Amino acid sequence: MSTPKVIIISSDDEKFPVEQKVAEKSILIKNMINDLNPDGLEEDFEIPTPNVRSNVLSKVLEWCEHHKNTVFADDEDEDVKKSLPVEEWDKNFLKVDQEMLYEIILAANYLNIKPLLESGCKMVAEMIKGKSPEELRRTFNIVSDFSPEEEAAIRRENEWAEDR
Amino acid sequence: MSSPTSLEEYSNSGESTNKAPESGNSISPNNVNAHHYHNDDMNNFIMDNEYNDYEELRKSLIVKKRLSSKSKDESRLDRYQIDKNSLLRLPTEILLQIFHHLDRRDLYALLTVCKEIADLIIEILWFRPNMQNDGSFKRIKEVMELPRDKTHWDYRLFVKRLNLSFMTKLVDDELLGLFVGCPKLERLTLVNCAKLTRFPITKVLQNCERLQSIDLTGVTDIHDDIINALADNCPRLQGLYAPGCSNVSEEAIIKLLRSCPMLKRVKFNASNNITDECILVMYQNCKSLVEIDLHGCEQVTDLNLKRIFLELSQLREFRISNAPGITDKLFELIPEGFILEKLRIIDITGCNAVTDKLVEKLVSCAPKLRNVVLSKCMQITDASLRALSQLGRSLHYIHLGHCGLITDYGVSSLVRFCHRIQYIDLACCSQLTDWTLVELANLPKLRRIGLVKCSLITDSGILELVRRRGEQDCLERVHLSYCTNLTIGPIYLLLKSCPKLTHLSLTGISSFLRREITQYCRDPPPDFNEHQKSLFCVFSGHGVNQLRNYLNQVMEERTYQIDQGDIQALFHERRRRFLGGNNNARAAAGGDMDLDDDPINDDTIARRFGQLQQQMRADAAEAGGNNGLERFMLQDPAMADLNRDIFRGITEGDMGPDEMREHFQLLIRTHQQQRLQQQQQAAAATPTGRQRQANPQNAPQIDQTPVFPNAERAGQIIEEDEDVEMEQVDLFPRNTSP
Repeated sequence: MSTPKVIIISSDDEKFPVEQKVAEKSILIKNMINDLNPDGLEEDFEIPTPNVRSNVLSKVLEWCEHHKNTVFADDEDEDVKKSLPVEEWDKNFLKVDQEMLYEIILAANYLNIKPLLESGCKMVAEMIKGKSPEELRRTFNIVSDFSPEEEAAIRRENEWAEDR
Repeated sequence: MSSPTSLEEYSNSGESTNKAPESGNSISPNNVNAHHYHNDDMNNFIMDNEYNDYEELRKSLIVKKRLSSKSKDESRLDRYQIDKNSLLRLPTEILLQIFHHLDRRDLYALLTVCKEIADLIIEILWFRPNMQNDGSFKRIKEVMELPRDKTHWDYRLFVKRLNLSFMTKLVDDELLGLFVGCPKLERLTLVNCAKLTRFPITKVLQNCERLQSIDLTGVTDIHDDIINALADNCPRLQGLYAPGCSNVSEEAIIKLLRSCPMLKRVKFNASNNITDECILVMYQNCKSLVEIDLHGCEQVTDLNLKRIFLELSQLREFRISNAPGITDKLFELIPEGFILEKLRIIDITGCNAVTDKLVEKLVSCAPKLRNVVLSKCMQITDASLRALSQLGRSLHYIHLGHCGLITDYGVSSLVRFCHRIQYIDLACCSQLTDWTLVELANLPKLRRIGLVKCSLITDSGILELVRRRGEQDCLERVHLSYCTNLTIGPIYLLLKSCPKLTHLSLTGISSFLRREITQYCRDPPPDFNEHQKSLFCVFSGHGVNQLRNYLNQVMEERTYQIDQGDIQALFHERRRRFLGGNNNARAAAGGDMDLDDDPINDDTIARRFGQLQQQMRADAAEAGGNNGLERFMLQDPAMADLNRDIFRGITEGDMGPDEMREHFQLLIRTHQQQRLQQQQQAAAATPTGRQRQANPQNAPQIDQTPVFPNAERAGQIIEEDEDVEMEQVDLFPRNTSP
């Protein structure tokens, strides 16, 4: 018998059979497998992920597959982690429309895949950097709910934050 | 400019080692603190740093209700569906993680995008208002001066960390008064805000029930009001640094200790109102204490302190000084085999009743001690050092200044087992000799050496230290003031082999008190009198580099001159030019003086530099020694054998220090003779041998011929007019036999 697979089921009932190693990039899934199979996987194991649609799940699993042998540093040193740029492969992988990017981030958060979540957040941060409020609204489809007077007052009172 | 935190302040103001030229005191009450903070790698524990700001923010904002989630579920669903593309669909936790990658400018741009985002951003920005530079300090002040109901938000509601230590000159009562009514304040740092009075401090503390730490280091007007306000308002207080608390009453301290059971770090210095009663309340109520600093609290005795060590298992740092009531009984309650697992730092400066017995007990119950300060514990002897050697790798920092009974023997046993020592201060241990330097050479991580007023130390010791430690030495600070026998040669070699050196103190050593050298020395403290100023000779930062460059320059020139065989004329010419005016201009030009006059081109410099080094070493050896032994020490190969011989005898028997020194000298003398014989044989075999030190026929000639008629005055204390003296004294005096 071949090695048992982990079958991840999306919210729209699509089944994604993957290697255990790949599935365990998700700490949530890893814990679930370990808790329910204390003696290790003996047969295929199904896990429903009711929060994740199939198109997102396939993206996330693509990431897991690519990184199945990557060893990620422990997230002990917050500062080091913060300063590292997004890895090139991840950067290209995450060049998707905003809706998909947020879906991936939400899925990574839910499935507890920290390095993917981190890359996603950094990508969004990159989209924010160096933009004016107006550009930000355009980029992120946000309508201002401040009156011009309010906006002026807020800018004035917080001008200090512009100082480096 | 003032510094951001008390700790940084301390490490900057660090080495005022030479502040008292007459007494040669190596420590003043202030830099006692500097010393033990410096290498403390637990700096994460400092009262205020930005390290965990993000974590704290996350914890507090994650529960914050968002505008979009306040509306009913239905509309939320709407929103969710409409704004699939919107950043706002992400949960707060993820937004915070994104914002964490942004700097303040980008946060400022986000602030006016929409209300929901602004609600988060405003908390991040004001969590720790940036008071670190003029511009933002002024702007924040302007905003705070507006009536709080006239601003868009009441910003005081967001402030959790307030650090006014960056711009202390601008911090007065009025300014701090603007921050009255910050109910969520957790950390208040007022280091060196010396203009502040107790009144605004007391007011700010009203209703700060979440306050965790307050640092009042350098605040002068600390009275009962402040301490009472802390006791009344801040039940969660964990850190209180109030070193200048001498006006605070015993009752106030006791009330505080009773009201703040979560206290972890306390610092009360130089107060007679810290009594044994306070200590009793301390260990009864504050079981989480990790740091207790009682420098200069002279009333405290070991009566209740004894219990502290037994009761407070978390205790990591303990400091006290000048308390006559601290005796050998301090650790007597600790049962055999009981280990103070957490204790890392102990400082009992100037507690004169303490003897070796205490140190022995201390080491047996606190095996992980990293910093030990026993300075001015006059009864300490080598027995303590032998005990301390059991700390082995744990010990990084040791201060034994003014422990006058210590000898080379003690240093030797300490250094052999504790090779991770980075800082050692042995100031005023006047029995120490060059042998101590030989031992210190074995410490691979050594960064600071303090040997102020160890006047038996000679050039031989410095040369040996340099030779053994080798090039690229990691030494950063070297204190040799009042080691009156030292001359320039060995210090030049020290400078050359220690590229990281940022501090070198040579106060009160006649060889260095000449204008060519002192032009690079930093300014003496303004409160020094003329005599003190005339002795002051401390190089720090760039000054060290300038001195190094200058000496390099001189050495190159000298080699050239020796090459040309016209030493005297050229040397005097250089000096004449130096003294003939333009001193300031030349000093400003740093090491460049004379360079453009020299007909040396780049190609020859490299070649001559090699010769120069040999020349230099030979000179230095002659300059310092009376038996020429340094020359042998500098000729590497056989020295290893000699050293093994020397220490074979020592490590086995229990030879006393005097015997040992004799043994040391004897072996070197024997070795010297052997070498001479070898050299003579070698010279006979190859009569063309050109190198000076390998040519026994030349060497004695040079020794017998005084190059400069007045050179024998070198090393004497300069009393006459300095300029005259400089004309007469060779910069690198040769040892001339009469």
